[in-house]
Amino acid sequence: MSSDTRTGGRLGSVADGYNDRFGHLFGEMNALQLLFLAASLVGLLAAPLWTSLLGVEGFLRTFALASIWAILAMGWDIQSGYTGYISFGHAVLSGGAAYATALLLTHVNPDLPFLVTAPISVLVALGIGLAIAIPSLRLRGPYFSLVTFVAGLIFYQLTYAFSGITGGELGQRVGRLQFEVAGLEVTTFDPVTRYYVMLIPMLVIAVALLYVARSNVGMILIAIRENEEAVAAAGIDTTKFKIWSFVLSSIPMGIGGVLLAYFYGTVNPVNFLLVDRSIEMIAMAVVGGMSSILGPVGGAFLVIFLREEVLYVFGTTGRWVALWTAVLLVLVFARDGLFRKLWHKLGDRGATGGDDE
Amino acid sequence: MLGSAISILVTGAMISAVYALIAIGFTMIFGVGGVLNLAHGALIMLGAYGYLVVTSSSTVEFLALPPVVGLVVAIAVGAIGSYGLYRGLVEYIEDNPVITFLATLVVALILAELAVVGFSASPRSLVNLAPGSYHHEGFGIRVTYIELVAFVASWVSIGLLWYYVTRTDEGRSILATSMSERGAQLTGVDLPSVKARTWVIAGGLAGLAGVFIGTLQQTSPVMWLDPLALAFIIVVIGGIGSIKGSIIAAYLIGYLETLTVELLGSGFRGTFSLIVLVIVLLVMPQGLFGREWVHE
Repeated sequence: MSSDTRTGGRLGSVADGYNDRFGHLFGEMNALQLLFLAASLVGLLAAPLWTSLLGVEGFLRTFALASIWAILAMGWDIQSGYTGYISFGHAVLSGGAAYATALLLTHVNPDLPFLVTAPISVLVALGIGLAIAIPSLRLRGPYFSLVTFVAGLIFYQLTYAFSGITGGELGQRVGRLQFEVAGLEVTTFDPVTRYYVMLIPMLVIAVALLYVARSNVGMILIAIRENEEAVAAAGIDTTKFKIWSFVLSSIPMGIGGVLLAYFYGTVNPVNFLLVDRSIEMIAMAVVGGMSSILGPVGGAFLVIFLREEVLYVFGTTGRWVALWTAVLLVLVFARDGLFRKLWHKLGDRGATGGDDE
Repeated sequence: MLGSAISILVTGAMISAVYALIAIGFTMIFGVGGVLNLAHGALIMLGAYGYLVVTSSSTVEFLALPPVVGLVVAIAVGAIGSYGLYRGLVEYIEDNPVITFLATLVVALILAELAVVGFSASPRSLVNLAPGSYHHEGFGIRVTYIELVAFVASWVSIGLLWYYVTRTDEGRSILATSMSERGAQLTGVDLPSVKARTWVIAGGLAGLAGVFIGTLQQTSPVMWLDPLALAFIIVVIGGIGSIKGSIIAAYLIGYLETLTVELLGSGFRGTFSLIVLVIVLLVMPQGLFGREWVHE
């Protein structure tokens, strides 16, 4: 008991130190929440170690994929979750970036270095994002969602209509990632390197988006969701900020799309542009807890882990039935998301612990 | 030239009639409950597979009923599915539009995956309700009888629906609810039953449309997507909640698609519809007849 309070106290002081220094940037938290985050972070960073100790090396692939989807789910969240303008076509942004990489490699020069194709691809995602945002953001509520949904369908169809360029149903090969940083060769042929290539951008994006979400911009986005008229009445140009939310969203979506392209090695309509993909990232964000950035990360890991490792017991198609049913149950019975619930539970526990001292 | 113009005129009319069937149910549910039912396409799929099961012995050995019975079954399956969806799910979550949106879409995905489990991912062909076709040498027109049946069925349903919502008390309560939920409640309209009835009607129309879509295009687990997108486009152009608007918009889109396919090829089927959609949204976001029901 006494040792418990002591660790709580020591952790508590760590948490206080964190709150003093970074709390205003990323949000305050108590000892338990900090412990939970730190444990998750260590678990992720040390995944190659513990998976090989436990003899489940296959998990690394799943975690790499989950990291990419976490980027996409966060990208969706900063736009849709925060502003309340729910986009049903976000796969177009990531898919656009993936296709940009594939098209550059296939039609321009197969030897283009990653450090050239990747920024261009992210810019393509940004361009598509703005092309969708500027006309559609004049619409509200369901109209906005409908247009983004239809935009997704159209992009999907266009890959078939222009199959001479895009490779149609089979798509295009992008091969594996290979580049040198400071004399170190990085290649996705190696599962451990691949894992870190996917994980590190995810962590960087998570920190960046958390910072943005706590900044004034994030506050205004939330205010737009809660009461757009009030924000407009305060003299703030809401359209400008909604477009900003798309910009903030397009960049991670682009990065995620490029990483996903290198993860699979091929870019095709079904893995990148099908409406199911847009819904998947929404499902991850909702399962984790919308408008929280870290919730979607948790949701992505949970959904991908279930999909890739657990639900195969229901068969290759049955796993989708089971997964979507689970998502439906969360939607109906835990609207605010599982990880938000967990987070608040930790918050309550930590708070009462603090009172005892 | 004249021949191909008339041919486009006729083909366009046939497909537009089916589109109208798809869109009306979707718009009614939005008009009455304010719910966008993204499982609408899945109800269409349900109708098509329901028809497949009872009319073709390829799924159940001893079950090969006449196509007309299949048509009735398709309508019933769509209606029951739609009613079940409302009573079992939507009723509890319709206060939150985002959750309703997502949940109905997830239901559609579940049904699509179940269709893969039950009937495999490859397309199936339906027993043709009315085989054969009419061919006019002079104009170079070819119309299949199934298209004609679809056209007639569409207009018969529209006529019945019109009679129902303007001439019967039950139907008029639907119309009243779509105009003003509060007003309808104050005049003694039983809101839950009106909503449930609307879902049943929309589901029945979807099931009926499923047979025609399934025969004319394809019956496969991905068949829910295109009709859903069409329903969106049509309903937004016609004005959400307006039956008249969706019928007119259905013909607009039907002809636009027929022209596109004729001139550019089928890959661009939906592209121009989207462009029209964007223009309509920018110029008149309420659609062609967005306020029609309020004024009537």
